[in-house]
Amino acid sequence: MAQLEVKDLSLSYPGSRSGSTFLALDKVNVSIEKGEFVTIVGPSGCGKSTLLMLVAALLRPTSGAVQLNQKDVTKPGPDRALVFQDFALLPWRTVIKNVELGLELKKVPSAQRRKEALKYLDMVELGKFCNHYPHQLSGGMRQRVGIARALSVDPEVLLMDEPFGALDAQIRQVMGLELLRIWERERKTIIFVTHDIDEAVYLGDRVLVMSASPGRVIQEVKISLPRPRDLSLRNKAEFTAYRETIWNLLEKQVQANGAWRQDSALS
Amino acid sequence: MHRSLLAHRLAPLIVGLLSVSLFLLIWEIAGSTETVRSELVSYPTQILSAFKRLILSGELAQNTLISLREFGEGFAAAIVIGIACGVAFALSRTIRYLFEPIFVALYTAPIIVFVPVLVVWFGIGTTSKSIAVFLSAFIPIAINTTTGIEEISESWVRALRAFGASRTQIIFKAMLPGAIPSIMAGIRLAIGRGIVVLIAGEMYVSMSGIGRLISIYSVAPDGVPEIFVLVAVVATFGYVCVLLFSLIESGLTPWRSHS
Amino acid sequence: MIFEGAYKRNERLLLGALGLLIFAVFWESVVRLGYLNPITASSPSRIAQAFASQWHNGAILKNSRIFLFELTVGFTLAFIVGVTLGIAMGVNRLVEYAADPFVWLIYASPTIAFYPLLMIWIGFGSATVITVTFLLTFVSIVVNTMAGVHAAEPQMIRVLKVFGGKPIDIILKVIIPASLPLMLAGVRIGLSRAFLGVILGEMFSSNAGFGYDIAYYAGQLQTATVFVSIIILIVIGTIINLLFTAVEARLFAWKAR
Ligand SMILES: Nc1ncnc2c1ncn2[C@@H]1O[C@H](COP(=O)(O)OP(=O)(O)OP(=O)(O)O)[C@@H](O)[C@H]1O
Ligand SMILES: [Mg+2]
Repeated sequence: MAQLEVKDLSLSYPGSRSGSTFLALDKVNVSIEKGEFVTIVGPSGCGKSTLLMLVAALLRPTSGAVQLNQKDVTKPGPDRALVFQDFALLPWRTVIKNVELGLELKKVPSAQRRKEALKYLDMVELGKFCNHYPHQLSGGMRQRVGIARALSVDPEVLLMDEPFGALDAQIRQVMGLELLRIWERERKTIIFVTHDIDEAVYLGDRVLVMSASPGRVIQEVKISLPRPRDLSLRNKAEFTAYRETIWNLLEKQVQANGAWRQDSALS
Repeated sequence: MHRSLLAHRLAPLIVGLLSVSLFLLIWEIAGSTETVRSELVSYPTQILSAFKRLILSGELAQNTLISLREFGEGFAAAIVIGIACGVAFALSRTIRYLFEPIFVALYTAPIIVFVPVLVVWFGIGTTSKSIAVFLSAFIPIAINTTTGIEEISESWVRALRAFGASRTQIIFKAMLPGAIPSIMAGIRLAIGRGIVVLIAGEMYVSMSGIGRLISIYSVAPDGVPEIFVLVAVVATFGYVCVLLFSLIESGLTPWRSHS
Repeated sequence: MIFEGAYKRNERLLLGALGLLIFAVFWESVVRLGYLNPITASSPSRIAQAFASQWHNGAILKNSRIFLFELTVGFTLAFIVGVTLGIAMGVNRLVEYAADPFVWLIYASPTIAFYPLLMIWIGFGSATVITVTFLLTFVSIVVNTMAGVHAAEPQMIRVLKVFGGKPIDIILKVIIPASLPLMLAGVRIGLSRAFLGVILGEMFSSNAGFGYDIAYYAGQLQTATVFVSIIILIVIGTIINLLFTAVEARLFAWKAR
């Protein structure tokens, strides 16, 4: 049985005029095995963030359901930790206090909390910065704090919404490797949204390609590249082939929709 | 689940109106049936008839005019001198530092503490009140003028200088217009301060004015409803002043969008 | 060279002191030269003499104690009620809509004009002074606290929810810290209004304190003694302001400058 099931999930937002609604997700079905690394790509505004928010239960579905271990997900909880697209660190807390937040809410005693938080900060190589405030960190460092915070609560599923979106290409690759290393050790289930096709192929066991708004999953591409993976993979013929396939699928959606982000068109 | 736009707009109004009317109703009933002692708290209809009395006797108009004159004189001087000081401070750091302690002193203590001295110096008439209004109003105006000018981007001033503008022209064509929003914020602050010191000053000692009426009715045996009327008059005056200056502000700064 | 550097660093203080000195010398000479009546105008030297005698008869300490007591009680009450109500109004729509008209009414109305009513209701003395201080102070704290709560970013609240935070966690860990800067700005305005409240109270409905002394000695035409009280109030106010600035600097170390 799959660990996480998304069944006929639809969501409408209140529309711009009173009474009208805007369909953001249209009957999405996904099923994800324990320990799987799933990446999602799709045109901007197709509902990727919305899908993650529904899995995190920050939004209620208009219809359909999300199930974790065969149980309906109704409220947010530390079993599904979200890494926010914009980091969402609390500016008044130091780095380590930010990482401790989830543990604090789980009522972990303070000494143990500190130890755990430090462990994960070391993992993302920010141990030395534990007493800095977020505004004293670079974008990439903040993002890593967000990742450490999510990992620290030991979630079953890690939801990552364009976690490397704010990073430059170089750091992005390093962080990707880093994430793979962490994932291989901790074996979490990861759902990873990105608009970088290379990244999606390079990281994922499976790439879900979404349609332009209203979002649907139009295709699942299984990535059977050997693990552990490293950067040299990018020059292999299979890799290029996967990239080609996904790019063609997306291009149709983008033409239907109008716009595709420039940076991903270049990558 | 989301509410319709209409309910959204009306909810604050309806809940607010309900809570206010409920309050007024309880007040009216409790007061007019003497459940509470009405000579202490009065009640809405009694206050309304006190309002009518004060208008018909001409007392209200006469004293309001006096207060208005005191306020107007002090406030006009505060605007002119406040803006002038503000410009001087923005142009010269030396001048600003020289005057800083005196300004801080005047801003730290409520100006009402100077009123008894002003009365000794200028008598119990309207002059001492006008000066008190001036003292409490001109400091926020000066401070905000200075900060307003300092926040204007250098490029404005440089552009004018490039066209060969003189110092005076730069002050009147770039600095003051650019500082208007900030000056207006200072004026709004000054209105509140000026009114408090005016009423308190008249209550302290005077021959006429709203504050004087308030202190007369506060010792009269059944003056409570009149006091409520006078409080409302003062509040209305403050509100009208603020409104007036917002209108002036949008007239002076047509380039900004006002929402 | 050395002097120049030292001057540059302390220019503000030095010029300020110079300004005060010029002001004092001018005042003193105008009075000494007979242009102003020395009794009513007073002068720096007379104020110094009055200070010495007020110090020796204990009036300064006594008045400071009364002032600080009334200020502390009135302000603390206002702080507790203001913050609680402000958070309740910021978090709950219904509370906001119901309380809003009253808050704005008190905010906009000249509290000073209510003075006579309060005296009729509460009587003469410290209780009235404290009540007025409370009324003047708590609204600015309510209004700013509410604005602060509204300024808390929804994203921060979402973070708490994601990690399983309950409403109380959201209030304690997001809403209060996020609203702190605006709340403290309100407290600062509140403090200066509390100052006004205590002085008004002492002037109009009390028989002790600086406010009372100011009115009393002005009535006796002892202007120099009046200025002693005024100067001490300014000193107390300045000290409170400096303390407040220090507290703010500590609390907001997390802010980018
Ligand atoms: N709170 C909201 N109210 C109304 N419409 C919304 C809201 N949030 C998102 N939408 C709409 O829903 C659609 C999906 O938004 P979503 O943020 O999930 O897109 P996305 O795929 O994450 O886009 P991006 O790649 O740009 O982050 C968009 O068209 C957006 O306009
Ligand atoms: Mg998104």
